[in-house]
Amino acid sequence: MSENFNIDDISNLASIELSEDEKAKLQKDLQIILEHVDALKNIDVKDQKIDIHPLSKVLELRKDESKESLKHEDAMMNSPETKDGHFVVPPSIE
Amino acid sequence: MNLKATIGMETHVELDTKSKMFCSCEVVETDEPNISVCPTCLGLPGALPVPNKTAIEYIVMLSLGANCNITNEGMFHRKNYFYPDLPKNYQISQFDFPVGVNGFLEIVLDEELHSVEIERVHMEEDTGKSVHIGSGRIDSATSTLLDFNRSGIPLVEVVTKPVISTSKMAVAYIEELRQLVIDLGISKGKLEKGNLRFDANISVANEDSNELGTKVEIKNMNSLKSLEKAIDYEIMRQSKQIEKGESVIQETRHWDENKQVTISMRTKEGSADYRYFSDPDLPNMIIDEEFINNSKKNIQNLPLDKRKTLKESGLSLSDSNYLDKGDKWLYDLYLSTVENTKDSKSTFNFLTGELQGQMRKAEIDELPDWVDSEKISNLINLFETNEVSFTSAKDILAKLLGEDIDPKSYATDNNLIQSSDDEEIKTLVTSVINENQDIVERLEDPEDKLVGFLVGQVMKSSVNKVNPGSVKDILLKELFG
Repeated sequence: MSENFNIDDISNLASIELSEDEKAKLQKDLQIILEHVDALKNIDVKDQKIDIHPLSKVLELRKDESKESLKHEDAMMNSPETKDGHFVVPPSIE
Repeated sequence: MNLKATIGMETHVELDTKSKMFCSCEVVETDEPNISVCPTCLGLPGALPVPNKTAIEYIVMLSLGANCNITNEGMFHRKNYFYPDLPKNYQISQFDFPVGVNGFLEIVLDEELHSVEIERVHMEEDTGKSVHIGSGRIDSATSTLLDFNRSGIPLVEVVTKPVISTSKMAVAYIEELRQLVIDLGISKGKLEKGNLRFDANISVANEDSNELGTKVEIKNMNSLKSLEKAIDYEIMRQSKQIEKGESVIQETRHWDENKQVTISMRTKEGSADYRYFSDPDLPNMIIDEEFINNSKKNIQNLPLDKRKTLKESGLSLSDSNYLDKGDKWLYDLYLSTVENTKDSKSTFNFLTGELQGQMRKAEIDELPDWVDSEKISNLINLFETNEVSFTSAKDILAKLLGEDIDPKSYATDNNLIQSSDDEEIKTLVTSVINENQDIVERLEDPEDKLVGFLVGQVMKSSVNKVNPGSVKDILLKELFG
């Protein structure tokens, strides 16, 4: 997979514009990281339990009971602009 | 070129819990904005999510109802994207360890059973609502108003494999899923309230090809009718493009209800765009056998079970499918009525045709207290045994919906009981034949349409008090021997 790695895709995903020089440097650096990951792939883990979360603690669940929320005025107090009980933000159309 | 369409459905089900998914704010239905919000569902820094146990029970029930395997050790991921209705800049969702995997839902199309494979059932949270204000056109909005009452309401996403081939099949699937969540008691399942929201992934490819075509996601369909129309339109649009030799672009399109077309919104994100990573605030979620068994206790009489019971009563698959998707009272009334009438088809037709029709006309949502299966089955038996005509049965039903009457006594008191006395009918027939000699002379055979006219004349002279079947038999005997 690492040989198909494309620095343009990564810069696009991260929304960071890169110069040609930076691309060349990062291409090299990230390639080294991917090679490390490739090395990990060779480790035999078939008898290992999958560790899917960094914490070993188990999730605590809460009873479905509603409690008092923030007062409306408190919820809105830090908003620079409000209108009819709404937060107002610049137009954002997908 | 023969083309085939492949459709996969993604459906969000809003769970009917008292409080939100990761905080204790009440789930409210109100137009008053931002009254049920707290630091967690407003995405304020430092607020920590604590999952709602009932929501997890509900998603386990839904996964079991959709015949999925349950992931015993699951986890939550952050799905990162920037949009003002999601103030944390990520949605808590699930990625590679969803609660339910590899299930199926059985659906009915006409008289055939199909299985729609379910890829995954995962837990997530809803976003806030945005309203764009300005000069009227959405793209010239001057600002966006935000209401976070909906933010954090538990949502379950149910994703099918790309196994659906027509719009009708997609609609049948949504109807089945909707009934499942209603019967499980985990969601109100109202499409018009947004309790169920669906997107369709559609691709078109050559019929002989083993590979799928380019996937286009269609959003903004808020009724089953718009789902059906949007899918049909999109299959046609992609097919035309392929036939012209053009390639289909992978993108998200928006169904425009007014123009009845799909419109390009944006190029479709891949999962890499969302930069999923495990949510460090939420440790592993263990769903053990005890939790699953406790959730199972709440599952009973699902659409599949109801369909089986209805089929065993003698109904066809499509009639069973109609009743298992209907109101519970109608399903119960059918089963108790058919026990007395022993005639499944006639009972089904009378309840779904006459009874529901008259209730709609009278704008009644619920049966009056005094209307029970005994009275309805007595009424069905009255016209099935030809004691009253079907027209009279409809009149009796109308009366019964308005006041507490006994159908048989009402029919007797109001002179609606039909005569099956052959001698009486013969007298009426003879008199009609004598009065209509010109017509009798024109009759060519027993199939002649004029026979129907003469039967009508006899019925008229009896004021509908005789059985039309007996009249026809006696009339034909008199005319043709």
